[in-house]
Amino acid sequence: MGALTNIATIARWEVKRTLTQMSRDTLPLAVVLFVLLVIVMGFAAQSGMHLQDGMYRAGVDDPMIAQLLASDNRFAVYELDRDTLWNNYRAFDLIVVRGQVYAIDSEKGKAAVKTLSRDYAKYTASVYNQQEDLFAAYPLWIDIQNVKSELDFSATQSGQYLSARPASGAPVPEGEVAEIPTPSPTLEFTMEELRSGLTQTEAGSSQISRYTEMLSPASGSGMGTFKTPSQLSPPLPFDSIILIFVFIFPLYFSSQFFMMSIMNERIERKGELLLSAPVTTTSIIVGKMLPYLIMMLAISAALTVYLKAPLTIILPLVPVILFFLASALVIGMVSRSFKELSFISIFFSTVATSYLFFPSIFANVHVISMISPLTLIILTLQGTAYTVTDYLFSTALFWLTAAVLFYFAARNFNEERLFSEHALVTRIREFMAASISEKHPFLSLFLLAGLAIPFVFMLQLMCLVLFFNLPMPLSLVLLIIFGAGIEELAKAAGIYTLYMQNPQFLSWKNLVIACGATAIGFLVGEKLLLFVTLAQISESVFGSILFLSLGVLWMPLLLHFGATVVFTITLKAGRVRWRIAGLLFATLVHCLYNLYFIMGWLK
Amino acid sequence: MKAKHVGIIVKKEFRGLLNERTILLAILLQLFIALFSSFLMVGLTSMYDPSSLSTYSRFRYNIAYTGNDSGLNDYLIRSRDFRVYSMNLSPAVAALQERKLAAVIYVPDITPDAKDPVKITLYTLQNDLQGTIVNVKLKDIFLKYEKDLRYVRKARITEEPIPLTLPASGSGGDFYEFVYGLLIPLLVFMPAIIASALVIDLITEEYQHETLETLISTPVTFSEMVWGKVLACELLIPVQAGAWLLLLILNGISIANVPLIFLQVIAASFLPIAIGAIFALHYRERTAAQFIFSTTLVVAIMFVLALPANPLNLVTRLAVGTAGAEQWLVLAGVIAIGLLLSVILNRYAERTGREHHTG
Repeated sequence: MGALTNIATIARWEVKRTLTQMSRDTLPLAVVLFVLLVIVMGFAAQSGMHLQDGMYRAGVDDPMIAQLLASDNRFAVYELDRDTLWNNYRAFDLIVVRGQVYAIDSEKGKAAVKTLSRDYAKYTASVYNQQEDLFAAYPLWIDIQNVKSELDFSATQSGQYLSARPASGAPVPEGEVAEIPTPSPTLEFTMEELRSGLTQTEAGSSQISRYTEMLSPASGSGMGTFKTPSQLSPPLPFDSIILIFVFIFPLYFSSQFFMMSIMNERIERKGELLLSAPVTTTSIIVGKMLPYLIMMLAISAALTVYLKAPLTIILPLVPVILFFLASALVIGMVSRSFKELSFISIFFSTVATSYLFFPSIFANVHVISMISPLTLIILTLQGTAYTVTDYLFSTALFWLTAAVLFYFAARNFNEERLFSEHALVTRIREFMAASISEKHPFLSLFLLAGLAIPFVFMLQLMCLVLFFNLPMPLSLVLLIIFGAGIEELAKAAGIYTLYMQNPQFLSWKNLVIACGATAIGFLVGEKLLLFVTLAQISESVFGSILFLSLGVLWMPLLLHFGATVVFTITLKAGRVRWRIAGLLFATLVHCLYNLYFIMGWLK
Repeated sequence: MKAKHVGIIVKKEFRGLLNERTILLAILLQLFIALFSSFLMVGLTSMYDPSSLSTYSRFRYNIAYTGNDSGLNDYLIRSRDFRVYSMNLSPAVAALQERKLAAVIYVPDITPDAKDPVKITLYTLQNDLQGTIVNVKLKDIFLKYEKDLRYVRKARITEEPIPLTLPASGSGGDFYEFVYGLLIPLLVFMPAIIASALVIDLITEEYQHETLETLISTPVTFSEMVWGKVLACELLIPVQAGAWLLLLILNGISIANVPLIFLQVIAASFLPIAIGAIFALHYRERTAAQFIFSTTLVVAIMFVLALPANPLNLVTRLAVGTAGAEQWLVLAGVIAIGLLLSVILNRYAERTGREHHTG
């Protein structure tokens, strides 16, 4: 009970202090800015985006066509007579003479033609929409029926195309064949309903609205799934970029406030008072975090309600919020100055956003998309419920990393650490040093290596996403190198910390035990996490490089041990200066192992 | 104000940036984004212009044709993008679900000259990259078939659009608008956002770390200090924007009028930096200053983008070589606003400086 009261008190302080610290005109000004934002958005919607105005120069001999081109801002239109156009065609990206379009032979010319052809299609549509016999102007209608399909990771590990040529004749389904009713030959709408639908889509096909449409719930043209061929723009699998901005950006923004609050405690030792109060550090951290946590949850809930989406989409956001807060806490604790804070947080947000965003592009296509909790949100918005396994799979790393970060922060939330002025790398080392017990250094190394696993997985999955697009041999090679490098870095961190605290510690006997403890800790953590979550990915070729297979245990143990020994000996022999070289040696050993055993390349 | 004193502050800030390795982080960030550029290119372009995806695949997709025979079937069979199988609807859809097919088409029994339209049912995979590509390729074929049907029903159409013959659209030109009309202007103005966030950090830091008194006790005046910080941030702009342009050029993207682009970027980037500095002087505290500044920035960027011939648009036009004399007018306008902001900033700084010296 006492702890809860303390937390509540600290949370109240935090809110009060934040509100008073911001000078009096901040909140009113924020309200004014918000109103301005709404006005400017209205203005922008009216006036349109003027980013690409006048990109192309077009020369036209016909006033009607000139008018048609001028309706698109991207064209700077010059109306001239035929001879002038012919003589000066080099001055233009495209010219239109007697209804024939000529473009210069360059990327720009091609782009201009593409833009014009889109405009022309829009214009013809506007003419045909007015036809009395609509079905003469639009004789063909397409009814699009979406079919859902999911594929397991192993089938597309090389990014190969999905429908390969069947052995002979038409493909035969392996599974059950469900009876599909024969579609009715008639449209379910009257001609006038379809006409108004066409006019509506014509009006709303500007560039901006195409993106905003995705957000406004139930934006239909009244035509259901019916489309004319020219309306058949492909389904956008990229709703996720909008989701990133809608869901993730406010969260990132709010976590900034928390980061700043932590930083403020450290500036000129202002937080000393709080630290000397008779409360545990955990209570302080939780109490300070609580208002932001509530705020972020409230924002997410409000967005969900606004989108009329099921409330279950908040569940995958919770670990993301905690991860953001945990990172904000650590960044606020390690940065020495505001500019360092800014740069680290910009860097962090870019990396985190990529991790969240890029996999979710592949929602529905590939199981790899599941490593991002955002995919669950996309699935839910599409009306597919996710299973508990899906949830565990995509959020486990976020829960775990958040927990580990909180643990490190809590261990280090003390005067010595908060008010030290050391450089970034030194500070991170100090943070780790705090979790190494002097009595049981080997047990600490074991645990440290185990705790590093979620981060290693996160980074490796990040690399997997990054290299997924590259052609096959290159992506594997890069993955081998980076995967090995990340693992070696994680394993080396603990020993390096220990060495920096006391170089004498690394006697030959201790060296062997330390490497052993690290290797076992790493292996145990790896296997545990793999077992729980990543079985799907680990079965594929990529997986076998990243996470050594679940089968034989002594081989990977030997590898982890050997590579760590390589690093440690280099460190012991070459001192601190050789730490990078040691890391490279260890990575090399690791890579060679992977090449030899997994790929069989060196045999 | 003495240039020498301002120079001292500039040097101090740069030293600070180098010492804290924050510059290193900035470079790392830039590299990271550059590394993603291929993904960014494919991903964002497809969002921006989904039909560009089709040029990405040179692959024959299996599709099933079900229902009644029609002119569409001939087009499909002749197409080099598809391998067409005549099938029954139910097994075809089941095969689609197993991804053995890329699409299934059902055509009903309606004659081309019928009063009613021809309604085709298209079964595709939902929200899928491959589905996207297949749809683009199918669209072309549907359009051809639509044209045929329209010709058959020609007598019933009362008004024809102005004829315009476009050259056959080959491949290429897809990324052009994305690269020049979005990527380049956004990338060259990204340093401005970083630099203006930085100037707030630099100024509020003096207040919050209480290092101001020490600084003021030196011969450097308060406004010289402010200007030094502003200048340090402004100097970062050409360096970073230049790095982006260089990266783009190394990627084989030719950019015209690089010096003129620099001119526009340097002038326009001064505005957010000056606004950031004014907010920092006003709030003297990072959280509030950054919060208000970033909200203002969002409003300002939206407003500017809604104006014709804004600096971002000019960068696009300069890069593709279609900017006219209006660039000088806009540049003059931007410089005028910059001067106005400088006067405000200077007055603010001098007033604040007097407060500090007297109190």
